[in-house]
Amino acid sequence: MTATSNDCAISVQNVTKRYGSFTAVSDLTFEVRPGEIFAMLGPNGAGKTTTLRMILDILKPDTGSITVFGGPLTDAAKDRIGYLPEERGLYRDVPVLDVLTYLAQLKGVSHAEAQRRAIAMLKQVGLEANIKSKVSELSKGMQQKVQIIATVLHRPDLVIIDEPFAGLDPVNTQMIKDMLYDMNREGVTIVMSTHQMNHVEEMADRLLMIDHGHRVLYGTVQEVRERFAENAVVVEGTGDWAALPGVRSVEVSETGREVVLHLGDGATPNAIMQALAANPTYQVRRFELAVPSLTQIFIQVAGGNNHGHSRQGG
Amino acid sequence: MAWHKIVLVLKREYWVNFKRKSFLFSAFGVPLLTLVAMFLIIRFTTGRETNLDAYNRIGVIDRAGIVTALAPEGRYVLFTDPAIPAPHGDDPAAREAYFAALEDAARRQMEAGELDAYLVIADDYVLSGRVDLYTMRNVPAVLLNSVRDLMREQLSARAPDTLPLPPSRLASPAVEVLRDVNTDRELSETALVGRMMLPFIFVFIYFLASSTTAQFLMSGVVEEKENRLMEILATSIRPLELLWGKMLGLAALSFTQIGLWLAAGLVIVMMSEGAREFVTAIPFAAGDILLVVVVFVINFLLFASMMLAIGAAVTAEAESRQLAGIFTFIAVLPMAAVVTFFTNPDGPLPLFFTFFPFTAATALILRFGLTTIPTWQIAISLAIQIVSVVAMMWLAAKIFRLGMLMYGKRLTPRAFWNALREGRATLTTAGEGAAPGGAGK
Repeated sequence: MTATSNDCAISVQNVTKRYGSFTAVSDLTFEVRPGEIFAMLGPNGAGKTTTLRMILDILKPDTGSITVFGGPLTDAAKDRIGYLPEERGLYRDVPVLDVLTYLAQLKGVSHAEAQRRAIAMLKQVGLEANIKSKVSELSKGMQQKVQIIATVLHRPDLVIIDEPFAGLDPVNTQMIKDMLYDMNREGVTIVMSTHQMNHVEEMADRLLMIDHGHRVLYGTVQEVRERFAENAVVVEGTGDWAALPGVRSVEVSETGREVVLHLGDGATPNAIMQALAANPTYQVRRFELAVPSLTQIFIQVAGGNNHGHSRQGG
Repeated sequence: MAWHKIVLVLKREYWVNFKRKSFLFSAFGVPLLTLVAMFLIIRFTTGRETNLDAYNRIGVIDRAGIVTALAPEGRYVLFTDPAIPAPHGDDPAAREAYFAALEDAARRQMEAGELDAYLVIADDYVLSGRVDLYTMRNVPAVLLNSVRDLMREQLSARAPDTLPLPPSRLASPAVEVLRDVNTDRELSETALVGRMMLPFIFVFIYFLASSTTAQFLMSGVVEEKENRLMEILATSIRPLELLWGKMLGLAALSFTQIGLWLAAGLVIVMMSEGAREFVTAIPFAAGDILLVVVVFVINFLLFASMMLAIGAAVTAEAESRQLAGIFTFIAVLPMAAVVTFFTNPDGPLPLFFTFFPFTAATALILRFGLTTIPTWQIAISLAIQIVSVVAMMWLAAKIFRLGMLMYGKRLTPRAFWNALREGRATLTTAGEGAAPGGAGK
């Protein structure tokens, strides 16, 4: 399952970073594969931003090694990355178009091309009327869009975004999501660090969860959820659920529409499904594994790992 | 270093700051108002000094043959040179050559500091009363009075028995003509004011230009920190490239400002007779101008790198202004002590300012117009400035790298010292010396 570092968009191997006596990141290892959407999760102060800064060579790790695009982060490799930090801003008293053009030029795009792309993207996100406006004249949501455009204007192969949806309303959130999906379809690798689990569940192929600088979860979103799944199924329909062989207990949901069947030792979801199919007294509209949401896993892992750090994953 | 990125930053810094209202105001409004005020003040105060301390030895070249009564240990000495023998007979050409050689010798002695000034009493003195006065210093009214007293003494010693004199000569014993040492051109009083004022004006314009732009440099860095742009910039450009782009952009802006002023000055000179006279006494030769430019550039780099370091070390604009204010105050000290410069340009205080890196440029230029600065002093001052600017730029680069990502957190001297002692900056970019076990570089 572990790819060699040459095949990875990012490879972080046994990286540790200390600030004085405080260990921000401890022996962290993970990889980001080309073309995937990778999510970094973790409570505040877990070491996400430090990790991102080390990947971007803003900070140096104390030990361990990091490669990006299969090698050290050269200037040319930096130009292939789009980065939007958590604490972000733009020149305030400068027209939007000028800011975008300047930042893209620093990434090696020509002035004319940068302007052309900036105008096109501003139109795409509905800011065509604000091309000449100063950044300080824009609303917070508008500024957020401009920041995202600044991150991707030079058409990077790898986009790293810290909290991409913070401060956006649902309409703008969807617009940014679509933009990220479009890029991802074109082969751009996306790394996002976020607290918003619903976005991770919806968008990410794989995830890494850090807590107190340690890796606590790592793998595909599905793998992680299944790992935390207890032996239970969720069923919507009618019938005497408790009478099914292998069902230990029945839990009715708050809405009353569905039930969770907790299975006894040796009983499998497959066996339950076969039993339901074989017995016409049961009417089933929905049947699925009872896997916890990422939010539940997040709370369970981050909340229960203040001291001991169970090492899991890929 | 990626030069195209440096050029990008340079261009941006230049144009963004050029368009600032505060630049336009400081480039045109402030200097204009201040210069007018200064000109008026100097007009009313020059020539009103009351002592002749700066004139202890004045050579007298007597073409009219009128000097007979010089006090043996006095201020005035009849200028002769053993290497220049007096001509025999009445050959006018030989006589002319003799006095020309004598004047050359006197000028050399004055430049070497052996004479403070010299007078040439004209051939037709009896009729015209003309006395040419050559000096490289401020000419107070008391000196002109002293020359008149001298001539009156000479006339009294000879008249009326041996010297037929028109009555007007006794009433007005000398019509002094002040002349330029190098060109022998007659200098008007306006030109004399110009001679003293021009270095002052140069210093003033330069100071305004450099302090304005150096502060732009500082507030630019603070803005990028306050607006959380540094982290984005740090992944696009190396700190040193950013630092150089900013410094060069603002240096270009500073010299644009000076250039605009020189151009405006040139227009005024072309349009006004008075202004033309004002600048005829310009005390700089071509070599001096080169030196002035070099001094300005070094000084600009010194201040710019300091402002950059301040900008990177602090967290807010207001805080940076306070710190910058202290250094600006130090830099203007020579201007505040300008009276000391006028009265005793070679005194201990001007000398100290010449050798103190933050005031050296101002002090050197001010002294240019008021005295002849010995070459060794210029050399030492330049050496001190060059060493300081190299040290300051090194320090600024370190502080810049350490401080640029410290949002909302001040870079304390202790944190900076610790970072230096560890032998590496915590924040570096690719290829700038990897930390032990770093990212495989």
